[in-house]
Amino acid sequence: MDTSRSYLEPSSFSKKIAAAIIIVYTVITLIPISWMVMTSFKNVDSAISYPPEVLFEPSLEGYVNLFTNRSRQSPEYLDSLPPPENWYEELVRSREMVITGPSKFLGRYSNSMIIGFGSTFASVFLGALAAYAFSRFRVPLKDDLLFFILSTRMFPPIAVAVPIFIMYRKIGLGDTHLGMIILYTVVNLSLAVWLLKGFMDEIPKEYEEAAMIDGYSRLQAFFKVVLPQAMTGIAATAIFCMIFSWNEYAFAVLLTQFNAQTAPPFIPTIIGEGGLDWPAIGAGTTLFLLPVMIFTIILRKHLLRGITFGAVRK
Amino acid sequence: MAKVELKNLTKTYDKKILALEDINLTIEDGQFFVLLGPSGAGKTTTLRCIAGLEKIDSGSVLFNNESVTEDQPASRDVSFVFQQFSLYPHYTVYENLAFPLRSPMRKLPEDEIKTKIESISKMLKISNKLKNKATELSGGEMQRVAIGRALVREPSIYLMDEPLSSLDAKLRESLRVELKNIQTNLNATILYVTHDQAEATTLADKIGVLKEGKIVQIGTPEEIYENPNSIYVSQRLGSPKINVLPGSLFNINGNTSTFGIRPENILLGTGNYSGKIISIENLGSETVVAINFEGHEVLSSIQGAYKSSINETINFDINTNKVLKFNKEGNRINER
Repeated sequence: MDTSRSYLEPSSFSKKIAAAIIIVYTVITLIPISWMVMTSFKNVDSAISYPPEVLFEPSLEGYVNLFTNRSRQSPEYLDSLPPPENWYEELVRSREMVITGPSKFLGRYSNSMIIGFGSTFASVFLGALAAYAFSRFRVPLKDDLLFFILSTRMFPPIAVAVPIFIMYRKIGLGDTHLGMIILYTVVNLSLAVWLLKGFMDEIPKEYEEAAMIDGYSRLQAFFKVVLPQAMTGIAATAIFCMIFSWNEYAFAVLLTQFNAQTAPPFIPTIIGEGGLDWPAIGAGTTLFLLPVMIFTIILRKHLLRGITFGAVRK
Repeated sequence: MAKVELKNLTKTYDKKILALEDINLTIEDGQFFVLLGPSGAGKTTTLRCIAGLEKIDSGSVLFNNESVTEDQPASRDVSFVFQQFSLYPHYTVYENLAFPLRSPMRKLPEDEIKTKIESISKMLKISNKLKNKATELSGGEMQRVAIGRALVREPSIYLMDEPLSSLDAKLRESLRVELKNIQTNLNATILYVTHDQAEATTLADKIGVLKEGKIVQIGTPEEIYENPNSIYVSQRLGSPKINVLPGSLFNINGNTSTFGIRPENILLGTGNYSGKIISIENLGSETVVAINFEGHEVLSSIQGAYKSSINETINFDINTNKVLKFNKEGNRINER
């Protein structure tokens, strides 16, 4: 066995401990998520059976229920119908029901998409402009302004829910996509400005000066030279903003009902016969998880560098 | 190319730190002008004011007798080689070189851009690196590309801020020669900033010496070397550096408080003065001998090797014609 090792390199024993901790932590984090995914593939009975079923026969009933509205019919009526045209109709009929139409889930889901990505884009774009200005220009009262921007996050956003609710009703922004995008952008903007200012500070100003001498205006130089350099920061900021606005629940409950309701307040209200339809809720939550997961995986290579950026001086 | 003039240019930072004071200088069309001075003298600030990267407090910047004082950097049409950090790291070498030509100010057709880049990259010997990312280059290659990006267009003036200072000595020398050749071939107007006297004397048609934000002397390299107007200027050029000694030392007449004499004008072997040798430094083509004369260190440089040993007493003489006399303020006393 090799007995010589670097003093800086952790010993194999401490590496094993670290691995054990990470594995335990991962398992703890993943259990609820995997339980949720499992629930989405159970049927209504196995979802609430006691003791809980770990092994079960998978079914797509939750997903079918998530996307459809159904009504219970008598066996005579069901027999009078022509044979089912596809697998999900068959599945619904086996429960003595017929599909009466699509559910609202898809609409709520696309609301979430529009509002989530819309506010993330707005936060990052406005945040980048503001961060650049704070980083490069002699802004009067710069430090006070930055502190003021951050102070909007010193209380929970929901503390201002009532005034916002009243204001939104007055100016007609309640239950609109625009209203929700503005709201989430406002909440995320302080984080975006602060995060991105750190990144902008790290970009030598010689780059945009060179671009300005090469025949570009400051704004053109900003888009051509500064933004590509700030990609790491932009990716990290976008993920944080996206996670917040995608998952936000309280404002969405309060401010949206029909037109602009997002998925988080909708999913828990999915009611089946005689109670909550747990497989459908599981299915909704599983699908809801995917976009943020994909978004994060795409931007992951920037993220790790993004979070540690600025901590190490070159 | 253009004639560039600075008239009574004054620049302060944060309204209190005086960076440049009443700068007047003219760079003729096709001239290689070198600004020489230690760091903090205001060399870079002068370049940045000409480029339009700094707002000036008063005075004016003229290109071909027309004021550009209020113009944006892009519309001034200058090119700038920065000391460092000047390549766009997210672009390839080719894209870096094409960047100024693709700007909204020029928008050249792509095939014209291609021919220009090919000829420039051949000149700077970076043809085989065009597809590399800017970050995949050595320091010398990066600086060549930075110079290339300045040379792909024909601006009013090339501004160069110590472009060779980050390179190793060998590369610095070869690029220095190349740069002078390029300038002669293109008949380019260049304002070049350096604190390296070898660069200043080899490149310059004219040298401007800066001291604490003021121009103290402008002249050809010969004038600056032979005829400096102050101790400060005399110390900018010459290696080994000039001997600055109290006026009483060699019976220099007049109201000389200090005088300067360059090491090559201290003649060893015979003479009225004698001192002990402190050190002998053989540099190959010349030898620098330090002599202790009445408590002062006097440097002498002589051609070739010098056979002697430390602590030996030696006779020497001074070339009195070449003595530079200065008054109490350190300014030159004019003989005539």
